[in-house]
Amino acid sequence: MKPFTYERAGSPAEAAAAAARRPEAKFIAGGTNLLDLMKLQIETPAHLIDVNGLKLDTIEPTQEGGLRIGALVRNTDLAADERVRRDYGVLSRALLAGASGQLRNRATTAGNLLQRTRCPYFYDTNMACNKRRPGSGCSAIGGINRQHAVVGASEACIATHPSDMAVAMRVLDASIETVKPQGATRTISIAELHRLPGDTPNVETVLEAGELITAVTLPRPVGGSQQYRKVRDRASYAFALVSVAAIVQPDGSGRVALGGVAHKPWRLDAADAEMPRGAKAVAGKLFADAKPTEHNAFKLPLAERALASVLADARG
Amino acid sequence: MSRYEINGHLFAAEPKPGQCLRTFLRDLEVFGVKKGCDAGDCGACTVWIDGKPFHSCLVPAFRAEGRKVTTIEGLASSGEMHPVQKAFHDAQAFQCGYCAAGMVMTVASMGANQKADLPHALKGNLCRCTGYRSITDALNGKCNIESDVAGKACGASLPNPFTDDILTGKARYTMDVAMPGMLHLKVLRSPHAHARIVGIDRTAALAVPGVVAVYTWEDVPRRLYSTALHEDHLVDPDDTYMLDNVARFAGQRVAAVVAESEGAAEAGCRAIHVEYEVLPAVFDPVEAMEPGAPLLHDKDVLTKEGNVYCDLKGEIGNIARGFEEAHAIHELTYSTSRVQHVHLETHGSIAWRGEDNRWHVRTSSQGPFAAQKKLCYLMGLKARDLHVFTERVGGGFGGKQEMISEDLVLFAAMKLGRPVKWEWTREDEFLGGTTRHQMTTHVKLGARKDGTLTAMDVRVVSNTGAYGNHGSETLAAAMGSPIAAYRCDNKRGAGYAVYTNMVPGGGFRGYGASQTTFAIECAIDELARLLAIDPMEMRRRNVVRPGDNIESIWQEPSDASFGSYGILECLEIVERELAKGNGVAKPGGDHWAEGTGVALAMLECGPPTEHRSGAEMRLLADGTYHLAVGSSEMGNGITTAHKQMAAAVLGVRATDIAIINADTDRTPYDTGTFASTGTVVAGKAVHIAAEAMRDDILAFASRHTGMDPVQCRLENDAVVCGDKRIPLDALHAAGAKTDHHFAVSRKAYLSPRTIAFNVQGVRLAVHRVTGEIRILHSVHAADIGRPINPMQCRGQLDGAVAMGYGWALTENMVHEAGHMVNPQLRNYRIPAYADTPHTDIFFADTVDSIGPLGAKSQGECGINPVAPAVANALADATGIRFAHLPFTPDRIFAELAEKP
Repeated sequence: MKPFTYERAGSPAEAAAAAARRPEAKFIAGGTNLLDLMKLQIETPAHLIDVNGLKLDTIEPTQEGGLRIGALVRNTDLAADERVRRDYGVLSRALLAGASGQLRNRATTAGNLLQRTRCPYFYDTNMACNKRRPGSGCSAIGGINRQHAVVGASEACIATHPSDMAVAMRVLDASIETVKPQGATRTISIAELHRLPGDTPNVETVLEAGELITAVTLPRPVGGSQQYRKVRDRASYAFALVSVAAIVQPDGSGRVALGGVAHKPWRLDAADAEMPRGAKAVAGKLFADAKPTEHNAFKLPLAERALASVLADARG
Repeated sequence: MSRYEINGHLFAAEPKPGQCLRTFLRDLEVFGVKKGCDAGDCGACTVWIDGKPFHSCLVPAFRAEGRKVTTIEGLASSGEMHPVQKAFHDAQAFQCGYCAAGMVMTVASMGANQKADLPHALKGNLCRCTGYRSITDALNGKCNIESDVAGKACGASLPNPFTDDILTGKARYTMDVAMPGMLHLKVLRSPHAHARIVGIDRTAALAVPGVVAVYTWEDVPRRLYSTALHEDHLVDPDDTYMLDNVARFAGQRVAAVVAESEGAAEAGCRAIHVEYEVLPAVFDPVEAMEPGAPLLHDKDVLTKEGNVYCDLKGEIGNIARGFEEAHAIHELTYSTSRVQHVHLETHGSIAWRGEDNRWHVRTSSQGPFAAQKKLCYLMGLKARDLHVFTERVGGGFGGKQEMISEDLVLFAAMKLGRPVKWEWTREDEFLGGTTRHQMTTHVKLGARKDGTLTAMDVRVVSNTGAYGNHGSETLAAAMGSPIAAYRCDNKRGAGYAVYTNMVPGGGFRGYGASQTTFAIECAIDELARLLAIDPMEMRRRNVVRPGDNIESIWQEPSDASFGSYGILECLEIVERELAKGNGVAKPGGDHWAEGTGVALAMLECGPPTEHRSGAEMRLLADGTYHLAVGSSEMGNGITTAHKQMAAAVLGVRATDIAIINADTDRTPYDTGTFASTGTVVAGKAVHIAAEAMRDDILAFASRHTGMDPVQCRLENDAVVCGDKRIPLDALHAAGAKTDHHFAVSRKAYLSPRTIAFNVQGVRLAVHRVTGEIRILHSVHAADIGRPINPMQCRGQLDGAVAMGYGWALTENMVHEAGHMVNPQLRNYRIPAYADTPHTDIFFADTVDSIGPLGAKSQGECGINPVAPAVANALADATGIRFAHLPFTPDRIFAELAEKP
């Protein structure tokens, strides 16, 4: 690990301002992903700003009838929250499908959204990776890319976003509250938060330098049958080959987001509109522009079949 | 100074910049906190912060400032074990014990909800030894241990003698020691699969603060050797240098950096500039056999031909005639994947010069004596000047039948005169450790209408990787017992161990036989299907019987013979249990298909090559005994078994026998604990040493009392001569006066070898949409003779079967052009709790006439029938033969998707 300096921030605005002063700084919350990457020298921040003391760890109702989840609410606490389990079942299920208890005890809501890809080439510092070293190339294209993106990828990067929680947040239309270094706040929809890789896969979100997530807000509950189905290589603990987050209303309408297929949770309005017509129609829209590789082409039919199975379960 | 509260004690200490809590705690000599991955996957480092469990490897140390940190050492209060420690004690919920500290900390933090949902709650803790069954037992409050009664030790489920130390964090594993002046070694590994090193510039590395030395191929003795540990070093090719100027696989050591801290050593490695001339590489063994393929080894290393390191061919009967006589023929190519042992304790060694002016190496090894021999050869030392030993070893499974960490630390310690330690990372294991040999097996079997086998033709191509360690021996095993398990007049085999630019293969539980067993057991099922014969009946009809020649493809007589015979009983047990069922139905919905499969495996107990062990026993002044055995204990339970065997002969409790093991200074020679020899060779030495001890005591007692020897007998802690009862301590005192020391030693060799069997039955459901496989019923029957410790034997089988499921379903080292792309435990997936089905384990009722006290080998072979039983169940469920491991969802799904 490279040496770094460290400070504890007293308030969100102070944290953002501190980050603006030190361009090589990183925020550290749970650290479950960051510390691992620092040990491997994939992340080498010169300065760490510890945001754990910012009191952003409560879940409160909003005036609109939704929930405001502090950025530092631990994944364990979020999954266990009674309101989340009752009104946002897809979120609770997605969290439990994710990491181990010891990790969920540390990992935070904002940190989960911002975790880095688990693309093996991103982790292997001997290999080219545009995300780790811009301009070096992408080893996954033409490499072992069974786990990689089938849609929304670019010539520069075919990594996937690893989060289960973010897929649920996407289907729930969550929004992200932030504070910028100058103290201004803004709200970003989850649809906008993550970027597609394009030519700059190293830039993963629309957050500006020093901008800090303070909360994630869920709109008022939409009811329906809420499902999260994760297909993976083993039962206990693995990143998704594909995952399906779906909310299905009694009339057959609904929405669906996929994990494990793109650089961000994958959801399209045109696909949601096809929900009453079933899995094949929905998948057709979701994957209209899909460009799978030889190794991961199986994800297309697998996602469609998983969706079909989810819809069947939702109908009871 | 910052203040830390650890287990109720306040420490004033400052973590190093960037230090995680795990290493910080270990720097404070809180050694109960273990490392299996250092990346938040395995849970061995789990500690509590303010009562909540965390992976301490992912917690920055400064986070714990002002909080209450609790480790395994702090869980017991006022000398009383925590109820979870007590439960783990009673259930013996560990084998090597390395995962136990973290496992206990996680379980002890669980509420009722979590205990009700263990598949989720135990996601963050891996165990490689137990298959999680004994851990479940602990959670259910089950007691698996029996009491230790004098004279009844053999056959009793006695606890591991080191239980309390393991469960309270006091047990010391290889790396759990602090030494003044310790230096740390790290290696730079080759990024290229095949490259010549043109130049190495170490200037920048030497300039890194804390770096003491950098060693390259120019510094180390230029002596060829093999890393494999065997009695006879000639069975492996001398094709390896400590450090070489040619890298033959991505991950090979290129340079070693020694520094004042691990961090400095790692920084030093990164600062070395190496100029490589990249050479053409070959990864596929079939391509490597072609003329014109890049050659791995040149003039210094003898190979059969090109990259073929060795071949084994043979034929009995007439194979062509055999196929002419067949009414049905099955022919298919099967292949197995490259997998690794994943002993939770990684490799590691510490070397230093002692006050006695000799060199000492503390290491995590299955063969300290064989390692000593190799180290002496490499470093030009005399055996008397080198002491090699183990402390607790955290798992082996064959991975530590290899000398791959001892050489560099000894070399550096001898150069620098200071203690040098090298602790491998998990990535070091995956890139630079050994693996199960990837094998491709072409099988052609023929049988008559009634199912009688008429011809078996097997061709094996084994990818031995860049070096030939274990290459020929595993190939011999691949061409041996899986073929010999069936009686058939016409057999032919051809096997090739081929060098490629892949990470080297090595010894791994099952040892070559696993791969051929997979192929042949699948093929037997296919042949049965062609003939419409029940697969179980097909096996019964063809399996070898007492009186048969135990022959594979060679005419020469084998030294294997039946000391007992339990295969038919094993088949019957599995058939009965599968028929009876366990009440677990397949999940609801139309998408699940269900199927049943079985497979058998045969094991010749011990290697065909030389293997020897010694045991020394002494009667101590207090009337108890001391036993010294060279054999390694790495979680296989062999020290418990050896104590029980000796106790049984001497009529005492197992606790009356103190034991030391695996130490070149303090125990007699032992070839190594591998090839399932702990019971049948080392155990035999213990058995005859204990008998000699008994005879020595009785002879002295007879002289001492003047009674006829036939009137003298041992009775627990005394010798009874006629009507006189002399306590053993008094007898010892009498002996001391006449210079009689009550010390004996005996040696054991291995021949003939007896034969053990294992049968696995599986009923599973497979989801046609997602390819997900769920094991519904898992049954295992083992013919292992008389179990010395039934609980431990069952535990060994639980672990072996779980490892078999890992091989079949989830584990796979994925390589692209020689580079491993998943060298982390989150991407290389050993079974976690939720992935491991419960297996019902049964023993055939056999008592062996060759093995000591009626026992046979039991740790090795349990893994072998698991993958083919899964494959056979899959074929039964889907009608599709999956011939390539592993059966991951996308492969299953892809095949199923093509079928309507």
